Amino acid sequence: MVNLRVEHDELRASVRRFLADRSARDWMESEAGFDPEVWRLMAEQLGLCGIAVPEEHGGAGGGPVELGIVLEELGRSLVPSPFFATVALAGQALVASCDDAARSRWLPGIADGSLTATVAVAEESGSLADVATTAMAGTVSGTKMFVIDGHTADLLLVVAGTEAGLGLFAVEGDAPGVHRTRLDTLDLTRRLGRVEFDGAPAVPVGDAAFVPGVLDRAVVALAAEQVGGAQACLDAAVAYAKARVQFGRPIGAFQVIKHKCADMLVRVEAARSAAQHAAAAEPAELPVVAALAGAYCSAAYTHAAKENLQIHGGIGYTWEHDAQLYLRRAKSSELLFGSPVAHRARLAGLVGIGAHQ
Amino acid sequence: MTDEEFRARLRTFLTDNHPGHRPTDRAERLAWQKAWLATLFDAGYAGPSWPCEYGGMGLSFARQVVYQDEYATARVPGPLGTGVGIAAPTLIRYGTPEQKSRFLRPMLRGDKVWAQGYSEPEAGSDLPALRTTARRQGDEYVVNGQKVWTSAADIADVLFTLVRTGTPESRQHGISYLLIDAHTPGVTVRPLRDLTGDAHFCEVFFTDVRVPVADRVGEENGGWPLVRTSLGHERAAGAMNQAALYRRVLDDLIELARERGATADPLVCQRLADFETRVRIMRYTGMRTIADILAKGEPGPASSTSRLFIVTFEQDLHEFAVDLLGAYGLLGRHDPHAVQRGRWVWGFLRTRASTIGAGTAEIQRNTIAEQVLGLPRDPGDR
Repeated sequence: MVNLRVEHDELRASVRRFLADRSARDWMESEAGFDPEVWRLMAEQLGLCGIAVPEEHGGAGGGPVELGIVLEELGRSLVPSPFFATVALAGQALVASCDDAARSRWLPGIADGSLTATVAVAEESGSLADVATTAMAGTVSGTKMFVIDGHTADLLLVVAGTEAGLGLFAVEGDAPGVHRTRLDTLDLTRRLGRVEFDGAPAVPVGDAAFVPGVLDRAVVALAAEQVGGAQACLDAAVAYAKARVQFGRPIGAFQVIKHKCADMLVRVEAARSAAQHAAAAEPAELPVVAALAGAYCSAAYTHAAKENLQIHGGIGYTWEHDAQLYLRRAKSSELLFGSPVAHRARLAGLVGIGAHQ
Repeated sequence: MTDEEFRARLRTFLTDNHPGHRPTDRAERLAWQKAWLATLFDAGYAGPSWPCEYGGMGLSFARQVVYQDEYATARVPGPLGTGVGIAAPTLIRYGTPEQKSRFLRPMLRGDKVWAQGYSEPEAGSDLPALRTTARRQGDEYVVNGQKVWTSAADIADVLFTLVRTGTPESRQHGISYLLIDAHTPGVTVRPLRDLTGDAHFCEVFFTDVRVPVADRVGEENGGWPLVRTSLGHERAAGAMNQAALYRRVLDDLIELARERGATADPLVCQRLADFETRVRIMRYTGMRTIADILAKGEPGPASSTSRLFIVTFEQDLHEFAVDLLGAYGLLGRHDPHAVQRGRWVWGFLRTRASTIGAGTAEIQRNTIAEQVLGLPRDPGDR
């Protein structure tokens, strides 16, 4: 257990070092939306894309805990890349599918960074649950919205309905019958696409039973990112409070500013407890811990992002300052896989609140 | 002996010697608690974090965690007064050999009850402003002043008290730490009724109370640094227990909500799910704190924020419970129609103190901001 802790500390430190001088802003307005060199280094030099891919498919053989460490650091820095969609969403889904054919076919490309991928869940209605997209006879038809990297991913894993219930279907991004557009988004460092499927060729992945877990794992992965982002907001707020002088003293000397920072720390640490526990949870516990981590970490991040902006005063309100990037990411993350209200409603159902004994 | 063997033996002892139901009569209850503490001590099961030479068990942190877990599960009484929890570390670190041999064992065994004389009407959050004086006369101090919010002073044998031996302006540089015999002539104890109607606390008045200089801990005017002494991470060893306690309280609240049909309201379910989220996070944070201490010897920042997290939780929960009662929240706990004998209404009132006692929430936030986040101290501070 002690060795694992040392390895984890080293992983965290190496990712942090790698991201340290890289700016989110430099690449967010580029054509691709990210620096391809950064992506290549993440995959080849640091082996991050394979962190949670089994060794037999070219990965490092880690799991959600190691992935969570990487995601937390990426959440801190906001450096854009296909990592979340490719590794956290699609990669985890493939690993969990227990579908050897699918795993052998796509995991090696994910692990070495040559393949980008994503999971398409939300429908045009905005709903995650009422799936109108259908799959039959080896094709998928319907419209998916708010798909992370949906407009660029090489591989799309699509949640679609069949006679036997919901399933996951692999569709190549440039396949016939796939028409995709980039959406203009609140989040400037994470791109979303709208994807229309019109009889697009599709390969089923896994069985119906594992589909709910796909979303739960996505929520847990996002929670780790949210903790990193919230921590970054707290750190920025504290740094500014120490440096900014008004009325002859650093504004951090004023009690309200101190209390705002203390309250941020309370929530960040609680969020960290939730996200780390969720990443380490047993599969049976996953639905409950995903719901609670999703609810809590979303709220903690948005709170931290707002307070960070507030503490920065006027400069926090500018386009140039990074406070707005975190605010946009926080609010978007809060809405991406179901709001805190939806997570809590699900949690209530899972633990029997409202049910009679 | 492995941790599991230790756990099993302790559990057997606690089960076999369980003192039974808590008596309702106050005098009986006190005797019952003292008898239990003596049983615990005589069997060698008291003072898990105390060095063995003072009657304790000298347990490693890991074993203390096991001990706290079993002790809480067994639902046996805890220590009387605030000596074991607050004064003992100071005495163990800074007491003379004579003081340690005189005071520690009787405190641990429950033969002597200790109460804390710190706060005063004019010195709460600003404790260094305390005014109770101790004037040196030969080999005695003559103590005059007043303490407030002293819990268990009415049953105490020893009042561990902060007094001013320096000039009136000397603040923390003129404070001494005295162990005052509560039965000394001139000590007057008055119960202090709090807003729940109960009287757990007292006011203590000192009128020309004579205290031997030999009963001063540490140097004259050197009492302030002694105040926040602790024995390793003994507090953190019990980190899981509050989480377990609130788990039970929340379970009771959810059951109450069901019984009253309130869970048909999705907004009620939202609030309950939020409490569910927070009570689980309490447990995860406890686990994280313990794991950090075991691995690194130090808890992380999570341990400094957990108290605020917990007090906010217990206030929110009890207020929500009263709200759930609707019109029945209008009843006091002595009314025959009161729901669950008024526990939630009483709890709502009692938890007003959660953000005040043992350090106000505002001071806690200042401390977190300054000591954990490194924000600058108030320029008005001396």
